[in-house]
Amino acid sequence: MGRWARLVLPRTYMDRQRRAGFLFVLPAVAYFTAVYFVPLVESLVGSFYRTLPGGASRFVGLRLYELVFTDSAFWNSVWNTVKLLALSVPATVVLALAVALGLDRLTLRWRSLWAAMYFVPFAVSLVAAALIWQWIYDPVYGVLNHALSLVGLRPQQWLQSLDEVLPSLALVNVWARLGFDTMIFLAALQAIPREYHEAAKIDGATARQRLRHVTLPLLNPHILMVCILELIFNFKIFDQVYATTQGGPAGASQTIIPLLYDTAFKYFRLGEASVMAVFVFAVLLAVTLVQWRIFRKPVEY
Amino acid sequence: MRRTTGGAIAVLAAAVLLTTALAERTPAQAKKLVYWTHWEQNPEFNRWYETKGTEFAKKNGYEVEVVTIPYQGYEAKYLAALMGKTGAPDFFNGIAHQWCGQYDFCDRMPPELEKVWSENLPKYMRAWGQWRGVTYGIPIEHGNFQQMYINADLFRKAGLDPDRPPKTLDDWLAAMKKLTVFDPKGEPTQVGFAIRHKGHPVGITDKFLPFAHAFGARMISPAQDRATGVANSPEMVAALRFFGDLVTKHKVASLAFGNPEDAFGQKRAAVIFRESWYFGWLKKNAPDVSFRVYALPCGTSCPGAGNLFPWSNLVSKASPNKHVAWDFLRFISNAKDDLEQHQLQGILPVWAVNLESSYVKSRPDYASTKEMLAQPVPPNYYHPKSNELATAFGEAVVGVLYGKGQPKALLDEAASRMDRILRE
Repeated sequence: MGRWARLVLPRTYMDRQRRAGFLFVLPAVAYFTAVYFVPLVESLVGSFYRTLPGGASRFVGLRLYELVFTDSAFWNSVWNTVKLLALSVPATVVLALAVALGLDRLTLRWRSLWAAMYFVPFAVSLVAAALIWQWIYDPVYGVLNHALSLVGLRPQQWLQSLDEVLPSLALVNVWARLGFDTMIFLAALQAIPREYHEAAKIDGATARQRLRHVTLPLLNPHILMVCILELIFNFKIFDQVYATTQGGPAGASQTIIPLLYDTAFKYFRLGEASVMAVFVFAVLLAVTLVQWRIFRKPVEY
Repeated sequence: MRRTTGGAIAVLAAAVLLTTALAERTPAQAKKLVYWTHWEQNPEFNRWYETKGTEFAKKNGYEVEVVTIPYQGYEAKYLAALMGKTGAPDFFNGIAHQWCGQYDFCDRMPPELEKVWSENLPKYMRAWGQWRGVTYGIPIEHGNFQQMYINADLFRKAGLDPDRPPKTLDDWLAAMKKLTVFDPKGEPTQVGFAIRHKGHPVGITDKFLPFAHAFGARMISPAQDRATGVANSPEMVAALRFFGDLVTKHKVASLAFGNPEDAFGQKRAAVIFRESWYFGWLKKNAPDVSFRVYALPCGTSCPGAGNLFPWSNLVSKASPNKHVAWDFLRFISNAKDDLEQHQLQGILPVWAVNLESSYVKSRPDYASTKEMLAQPVPPNYYHPKSNELATAFGEAVVGVLYGKGQPKALLDEAASRMDRILRE
């Protein structure tokens, strides 16, 4: 009797154990397959086919890759995405770490209260948050320009400026993601045994030395994880852009996922959109593997 | 462990059975025709289908359920449903050259119904529901072209006569200058023209095209096979320079103002170019604005009654109820219902006979609509790739508004992209 047959008709205690294990992971595997794996394969296959008028498809080999990779609008969106990443990720990670270090020093009661406050933006729908920020940024009625006018500064165009739109969106990202990253860092900080700090203190290490030589090395896996998560989140940014600027003004905030969405659903070019999806997947996979390989160091408490 | 596993399997099986039972019950019990529309701005118009559906149900047993899809991103929902077939509407509000041209989602209109509509539609609307000479859809909005809405009070305040609107672009620009008010810092607190500069480039193209047509320009060639030499013609460059100068040189339009519709409704802009539905929107959302509607000003040509979005009711080819859907559309294909439905929402009816009804005659856009329809018909861009073409073109328009480059250079780039789209 083969291994699979014994999963259906177990004969021994170990067979039953294996069957139980298999059944427990089955829902997760089924979900992953249906929601992630099948679409991924479909995207890959779809990137080699062009949809024709009438809805049929024709195999075109690498033609769509050539079309997408020679399109200036595509590279403009990639460049905007990279700029947004560069503005958002370091700021979010550094700020979250700073906030977590601050919260770690508070008593449990105050820590919980402040942590909850930092976490609230993460619980807000991104579309709703984007719309609220759109009002905040409004050049005429926005509270931000009102605040600037109170201190005698000129009003800014924020989301309606070629130069200010990406920093403005980055600020929304930092606001939205700060709480989540802070929670991860805070949990990691709490897990570091206090003895390490006490020993370093007895040895005469200053607060800065303890941070540099004790805390940060022990937080390394978490910093790496947060960096990867932020990278993925920012690379896939959609809601904020679509709800506020729709890629404008003049393509200045057009990032790759909104372009993919428009290509698929506004221009009905499913093949080209699949090429972009494959590109995003490949880039994220490559960057994650590189980050993992270079920065991951084993940690022992 | 064995007992636990067995229990888990039983719970899972029960859940699957329950889900299946519920899924089977829902659609079978309700005999409904499902209609999808993205016309969020016309709720009364949409609801009328349900009201009429109740009457229709007495004869055919099918009621009508209206599903309003948010306009932003409606294409994605339509496409997913129509491709997936399950969950697709029986009939829907869409554009024939996209949904029937780019894709083959539409059922052909029965010949006798086609005859009814071809005999009763104003001539300029007949192409709206067609793709390559085949009729698929029923146009649903007359007056779906931009006209000039002016704020009569702001005109008077600026020393202008609201009963004598500017007829040429030169006069119009002079009026816009008079209507713009600046604060001591030089920022406009009130502008002459409410300009569309935000949102998707397709919408920006739509709002710029009347200017292009007034300069005698067009977006793509008549054969719809090229853009170079057309989208970047000297006439188009002049039109875009004029449009950009409204913001950058004359400052009679401002990028600091948000939606043009809101700016006009808040009396922060004296003039806006919009379609006939805006009349109803204003009545509801800004009832204190005293406005008039006139034909758009002319340049070397008159803009005429053109549009990018020829909306029509289309029947899904894959619908199991497509014959019932046509029956319903046949049921409401008469002058009385046409008038009733459009009057409810405050928009213009489509039957030619209704264009001289007392309702239409009493509207402020009656004369201007007639005047614009009497102008030469402007170019149309009913191409399956119209969204993509308008996006590439709109990027150039918005680029000029935001000072990203000169009209000629940006239009050259746009034309090249549009050629590539047309070739592919």
